This record gives sequence, structure tokens and C-alpha cells, in this order.
Amino acid sequence: MIKTVDHAGAEGLVHIENLVKRYGSFVALDHLNLDVKEGEIFGLLGPNGSGKTTAINCMLALLKYDKGMIRIFGQEMAPDNYQVKKDMGIVLQNVAVFDELTVYENIDYFCGLYVKNKIRRKELVDEAIRFVGLEEHRKMRPRKLSGGLLRRLNIACGIAHRPKLIFMDEPTVAVDPQSRNRILEGIMELNRQGSTIIYTSHYMEEVEQICTRIAIMDHGRCIASGTKEQLTGMIKTGEKITIEGVALDEEQLRKIRGLPHVFQADYENGILRLQCTEAKHNLVRVLHCLEEQEIHFGRVFSEQPTLNDVFLHITGTQLRD
Amino acid sequence: MFHLVRYSIIWKVKNFNIFFWPFIFPIILGTLFYIAFGNVKEADFETIPAAVVEETKDSRVFLEFLEELQKNGTIQVERMEAREAEQALKEQKIEGILYAADTPYLKVNKNGLSQSVLQSILESYFDGKKTIENVMKNSPEKLGTALERMADHQNMVRQVSLGGSTTDGNASYFYALVATACLYGCFIGQGSARWLQANLSPLAARQCASSMNRTAMILTELLSSFLLHFLNVAVLLAYLRWVLGLDFQGRLPEMLLVILTGCVMGVSLGILVLSIGKWQEKIKIGIMLGITMTAGFLAGLMFAQMKYIVDQYAPVINRFNPAALIADAFYCINVYDDPSRYARDLLTLSVMSAAMLAVSVLVVRRVRYDSI
Repeated sequence: MIKTVDHAGAEGLVHIENLVKRYGSFVALDHLNLDVKEGEIFGLLGPNGSGKTTAINCMLALLKYDKGMIRIFGQEMAPDNYQVKKDMGIVLQNVAVFDELTVYENIDYFCGLYVKNKIRRKELVDEAIRFVGLEEHRKMRPRKLSGGLLRRLNIACGIAHRPKLIFMDEPTVAVDPQSRNRILEGIMELNRQGSTIIYTSHYMEEVEQICTRIAIMDHGRCIASGTKEQLTGMIKTGEKITIEGVALDEEQLRKIRGLPHVFQADYENGILRLQCTEAKHNLVRVLHCLEEQEIHFGRVFSEQPTLNDVFLHITGTQLRD
Repeated sequence: MFHLVRYSIIWKVKNFNIFFWPFIFPIILGTLFYIAFGNVKEADFETIPAAVVEETKDSRVFLEFLEELQKNGTIQVERMEAREAEQALKEQKIEGILYAADTPYLKVNKNGLSQSVLQSILESYFDGKKTIENVMKNSPEKLGTALERMADHQNMVRQVSLGGSTTDGNASYFYALVATACLYGCFIGQGSARWLQANLSPLAARQCASSMNRTAMILTELLSSFLLHFLNVAVLLAYLRWVLGLDFQGRLPEMLLVILTGCVMGVSLGILVLSIGKWQEKIKIGIMLGITMTAGFLAGLMFAQMKYIVDQYAPVINRFNPAALIADAFYCINVYDDPSRYARDLLTLSVMSAAMLAVSVLVVRRVRYDSI
């Protein structure tokens, strides 16, 4: 089932049409269609093996594909389309830096692949070092850096030349929460400065936090795309309410099930779990019902629907399965 | 591009694998050879017992030549009948039989230093004979002078003993060592190619996705690898010539030209092997090790006579064996003084390098990979 809630207008900054990539009999990308608009942080969300990295590698013209078309900045992407490549930056899933060079030298080297002018390059490298917060580590070798700092160096190497389009393939894998927050803030800042970002992750919280539009991938296909609100609005589930320490008889449970917008109510071991359709004041209505029947209760939790619910709704499996 | 070449050299110098094998290892090997051959050198010039069998009555010149050598103490020749000589050879009383025929020839029953000396003596005779024939053909008026010199066999033999004009019979090992060291440049080239193939490392993927032109990328890596390796082998050469005092006493510019060409060959070989085929990197490194060791072996790195054996039985192999070509070019400078052969060796190496690079560029230039 393919669902999409955005209506494609003019061709995006990145346009992918019917992209098919096979590894032998395994279909890694199955007629993938995507459009990334200028100025977006576009999230590619999906479980491991869903085809996110394969899609990125195809967009970078590193990988052969069997069918389809990729256009970036309105031009067909090819290994020797250097005009397009000069405005692209990449931050790969695996840290790609030289162990033999210092932090400064690494960034200078990669920036030098795009920027020939020495003075301009120095400015950009200094700026990138400040941006990722590695000022105190500029003369250190990568192996002396912690995992989080290494990831920041990896990002600096990909963005120092100020690209218009940045591909970030799971840049926060194996990173501590502090570094992760710093990286995510940095990505949003890059976007504010004018870069369009394609961001892949299997962490739905990250994607929810930073992406302006999201495509959910599974088995090489885009199963849904849109803003977070559009995606969560696609499914029946609205608010999820959990009430602990509650004792109910059959009649009381029947009354709760009969409340407006409650479409599922499970009661087990003193815990009541309710799923409501999208509507306002669900929690108030439920608590009012409990009070009316003089039912005592303990802690109460309310959760808004997540992208995981969307994924679960569409595929029948958890995003992190 | 200078920026990239500079960084490319820096990271290569700091990379142990890239630095050790092409640079440190040949120096260690050269030192070990030097220590090992120290005593052998003295034993080289022990008198070698041999028999001479007259197969033609018109062999006066050859017999006189051998008698002069006998006076010199290099060999001890005894005239024998064919059957008697065969028996003596079988019983290992002599090291070989020199047949004084229309075209003299040598018979031995094993390979070794003494047999090599006898072979060299025979070759020296042919060289001298050829010289006289050339003089007769081109400058008959100088025949007298030439004959006088020919008659002075002792002088001639001293100048062209063992390996030609050198007096060190082990020099061939060191020529083969330098040749193999040049080919070890393939490990630097391999490092370069690894950095050019997106499917081999994330670093390469990052570089391949950049706006750097692929051909310029290849040239950058080639240039940095070559400069570095040329320096490696130049240091090795200086070490062999000035520190160990070995027979690399020919003209230095010509020797530098040989290692320059040899280094391009080595680096090109590495880039080619890493650029073609879909084997794993470890397999490709194994292939390179196999190629360099085989080339070195056939050029005489492990067994000096191997080069002669290949030249004798399958000369075409060493016409295209890069290690043999490099070693041969060193012979041309230090031993033969043969400019045309020297030029041919370098030309062959250059053509082979150009072909390897052309294939590499074509393979890598616009490539997309099946998987990364």
C-alpha cells in the first residue's frame, strides 16, 4: 500500500522517478519515487535494510541502478556531472576521515576537493570547525577523538564547502545524547542558513524533531510521505491514554468503551489502555467518566500518535523490528 | 591539485603499511643481503677445477684464453678426453667441462657459484671474439691493437669477471633488490586506488561523490605515490651505493632514470590491480604480492642464476618482466655499458606503465558500482 499526502507540483531539487535497484534477486529499491523541495530537511525514515542508504548512494551516482531516473538541480545525475556535485555535500553513515591527518587537515583536505582558493578555504575550514565545536581539537588525530566528536568531524568534512544540498546518512549512529543534540541542532542551523538536507535515520524521534517532510520507507518502497502531522493524520489512531492502578468491572469497562472517539479499550492487571480517534479533550472525557462512576485510579499517561504508529498501521510491524 | 598531492603524501608517509613495505623493508633486505654475502664474496674467487675437451683442432685461441685464466688462478683447467671428463664431472672432481668446439660450450651437472663463474668465462670469451669480429668488419686497420688486447686475457678477464665489468658476483642480487623495491610501489599505488574506488572504503566513496574530476584524482594519486616512492628507492640506492659501498658505481643520472621509470611501473601496477576485477581487496593484495615476488624471483632476487636461466630458456618472460627489465637496465649501466639495451628496457617499462594507467583510467573514470 503506497500512501502519499503531498501533492507534487513543480519538480523538486531532487527528483527520483521509478528507481529500481536489485542485488541479484533481492529488490533493494522498488520503484521509488521522491521529490525533495528546496529548503527542506527531508527525512528518509525506515528500518535497517529498508533501502535508505541504497537510495542515497544512487543519488550520489555511486551505485548502479536497474531502472528509473534521478535528477538533481534539474540535471540528470551521473558520476561525471561535476557541476551538480560541486553543490552537494555528503555525510556518510561510516566515518570517512583520514586517521593520519589532524582534524584541521582532514577538513582542509575535503574542502579542497571543492574549493581551490586557499584563503577562502581557510575561512571555510575555520567556520566548519567552529560550527561543529571542534576548536579545541583542531590539531588532534581522529583516533584520539570520542565517538561523538568523531561524528562531528565527519559532518564538518561534508559541509565545510557550504553545499546547497547535503546528504546525511544516519549521522548520529552510536553517538551519546549530548553529541546527538548538538548534531541535530547543527543540522537545523545548516537548514536555516539555506541548505536543503536529505536526512536518513531509523530513529523516528530524530526525524520527527528536525524534518520538515518525511518519507517512510519499507522494503525499498516509499510507503508514505508528508509532514509529521500529515502522516499521523493518515491513521485512525489519535491519542493513546494509559491509566494505571484502576479496578474495573465489566459494566464500568462497557461504559468507557461507549465513550465518544474511544475505538479500543483494553483492561489487564489493573491497567487500562485506550486508543482514541483524533479529537480534542479525549483525556478530559475519560477522566470525567471515571469520576462519575467513583472509580479510583493511579498514574495517567497520554501519548500523541508517532511515526511508529503510522509505520505499524501501514505495514503491521514495528518500525524498529 | 598541489594541495591534494601534499595531503596525499602526508597521509601516505604516516601510514605504516604504505611506508614500511616499499621503503623500510628493501633497506632491511639489502642490509641482510650485504651481511650474508660478506663471506661468500671471498669464497667466490677460489680456484675452480674444470676440464677442457678438444672437439676441434682449430681451438688454439680458446685454449690460450683458458691458460691465461689458469695463470690468474681463477680456474684450474685440465685437458681430458670426453669420456674421462664426463666421469670426472660425475664424480664431482671438476665443476664443469669446457668443450673447445667451433663454438665452445659448457657442460655442468648442477647450478651454483662455480658453474656461474664458468658460464661467465665462456661469455667473456664470446664477447671478446665478437669484438674482434666487429673490428675486422668495421676497422680492419685496428685489428693489431685489438688482437694485442685480446691476447692479454688476464687484463680482460679481470675487468669482466663474473658479472661483466663488476668484480662483485653478488651485485645481481642487489640489482634485483632495487628492481623489486621499485615494484613494491604497487602497494602505494594500491593505497591510491583504494582511495579512488567508492566500493572499497567510505573515504573513497566520499571522494568519488565530490566534484573532483576523476582523471585529475587519478593523476593526483599517481603523482603523490610516484614522488614518494621515487624518494624511497632513491634513498635505498644511496644506501646501497654510499653506505654499503656496493657496485652501483655507474652514472648516477642514468640510475635515477631507471628507478624513476621503475617506480612509475610499480605504482601503475598497484593502481591497475586495484582498479580491475571484482575480487576482494585482500585477494588483490595477494595478487600484487604474487606478481612482485614472482617478478623478483625471475629477475634473480632469491637465486642470482635464475635471470640467466630464464634468459636462456624463456627469454620472452624477462623481456616483459618489469623486475628483470629494471635489473637489466642496472646491468646496462654498471656492467655492459649497452645504451641501446638500456633504452629498450626503459621504453618497454614506460609503454607497460602507460598501458596500465590507461586501462585504470578507463575503468575508474565513469564507474558506478554494483554494491557499496
